[in-house]
Amino acid sequence: MRKTLLLATLGTALLSVSAIAAAAKTGVPGIDLGKPEGVLMASRKIQCSLQDGEAVTYYWRGNVFSRVQGERDRLLFKVEGMNIRRCTTVTDPEKGTGFKLVSREILLYLDPGTGEVVRTWKNPWTGEEVEVLHIANDPVNSTWWPVGRDGKPLSWTGSTEGNRWWQTVTVPLFYTNPLAGDYQKYVGGFYHATEMFNFMGDLDDLLDPTRPTAEIRVGWVRIADWLPWMQMSGREGEVYYHTAGVKLASWDELPEVMKKEIDANFPEYRDAPPGDDPRPNETSWTYFKKKVQPAQGGRSH
Amino acid sequence: MNRLLFGAAVAAGTMSASLAAATTDRIDLSTPEGGLLASRKISCSLEDGIPVTYWWHGEMYSRIPGEKDRMLFRIEGMNIRQCETVVDPERGTGFRLVSREILLYLDPETGRPLERWKNPWSGEEVDVIQTENDPVSMKTGFFPVRRDGKPYEFDATIIGNDWFTTGATPLFYLNPLAGDYQPYVGGWYHAVEMFSDFGQVDDLTDPSRHTAHVVLSWTRISKWLPWMKMGDRVGLLYVTSAGRKLDSWDQMGGTMREYIDSHAPLYRQPPPFSDRRENETSWTYFRKKVEPVPPRPRERP
Repeated sequence: MRKTLLLATLGTALLSVSAIAAAAKTGVPGIDLGKPEGVLMASRKIQCSLQDGEAVTYYWRGNVFSRVQGERDRLLFKVEGMNIRRCTTVTDPEKGTGFKLVSREILLYLDPGTGEVVRTWKNPWTGEEVEVLHIANDPVNSTWWPVGRDGKPLSWTGSTEGNRWWQTVTVPLFYTNPLAGDYQKYVGGFYHATEMFNFMGDLDDLLDPTRPTAEIRVGWVRIADWLPWMQMSGREGEVYYHTAGVKLASWDELPEVMKKEIDANFPEYRDAPPGDDPRPNETSWTYFKKKVQPAQGGRSH
Repeated sequence: MNRLLFGAAVAAGTMSASLAAATTDRIDLSTPEGGLLASRKISCSLEDGIPVTYWWHGEMYSRIPGEKDRMLFRIEGMNIRQCETVVDPERGTGFRLVSREILLYLDPETGRPLERWKNPWSGEEVDVIQTENDPVSMKTGFFPVRRDGKPYEFDATIIGNDWFTTGATPLFYLNPLAGDYQPYVGGWYHAVEMFSDFGQVDDLTDPSRHTAHVVLSWTRISKWLPWMKMGDRVGLLYVTSAGRKLDSWDQMGGTMREYIDSHAPLYRQPPPFSDRRENETSWTYFRKKVEPVPPRPRERP
């Protein structure tokens, strides 16, 4: 789950006139979604907290399925996900006042029958037993400004109906795969996935400047090529993740299965990275590259 | 969007407690009867014959190996439904839902419903067939005892005052537009509908409120739509969208209201309970609207 991408795209989406009109109608003397600064503030309330350094935890869960031509989709795993983040105010002489979001996140694959965290998996297509690599991306960071990446002022891209607001953020990804070779443009191998977010909440909560963080419900769906550890070797087909979740009131609300796993294997995920974390972002693909040695090439002499 | 299937996934159960008994106490989500009532409050209304409208909007993309995903359309959807109480001598007191629904394909620039579309892969300009499915209804309904004899279960995640459900319905069946040898030569209908519904527990369990506030995330992956004339080309479509249950039909966006006024006036009301027609899908609807291309005998020299 790459929230950062979501943030980056907010500024590029279409301005929803009706949303702004509706927000104006509520007459809340607080955050103004008609102004870039207001949108930035709302985005920060959605993502984290207006208070510098305050840690906020997202939690989500759902299922992972396969989709292969000519066969019924299979439920492969249940998943449990978490992301812990914090925001810090940053200023730039040209971009103005924004915020830096730092986070780390875990996605666990569970046996759909037992609900236990899986360690190995029998690939039903190859018959091979493979080691499961759970997602542990640290960090997943981004910086937000009142001006979007396209140079345009940030605008509200959500919808409002009555006291509800929601935002659909779709991030199609298509880039050079860190696990593939140097000739991807010629022979293929591109990283190809889509992240689909729906964030939802209540307008009076979002626009109230006295509440540092907004209550959020989130739907997250992802379509992607096979995961590297499945060892599918370029077979046709894809996986899709279907999940839903919420911003938690506290880290302790995470389910036991996640807390246990964090205690045992990922203790740093009790807290977000430091606010000034300078490291480049980790993705499941770069993480895989660190964890798994490359296979011997199939070159023959 | 097949809300029914969603209902079926979440509510493989029923409502058994009498409404009269339920009006005094909070709905108990842990019992088959309470779980069924909750599902009914989410799907429609505890009162027979009250029309309830769902409305959502989002985007539709293509996904083809080796190319960047393209946003093809904006989409806007609605479903109007009503429920009736039904009694089964063995399975108890349940409910049956009847509905009809529209999904519009909109020009991503103008936001207007498309009549013609230039297919970027074939270069051909084709007629757009907007989705109008009437009816999308349950045959028998949901009961406190499921069809398999097990008690109905309300399968939601509850954290604090938030509840959410994730219901995914992978579809893989004989395609009404394909031939009689699909297991041999392919052509299957292959799609998945992913619903995530969100709401508040105190609202859901309050017996004095006949319907629950619901926001939803809806994602669908499918093959190309028949009217795109993509034939056997590799690739798929996905829709990502969000929306909510409206307080009234009039809250729908102007585009949809205008479309219904000018093209589909039936969609101001759900179908009657006496409606026993087979369900319509986009595929069966297409078959009614478009003449088949008869196979031509192969030319012999």
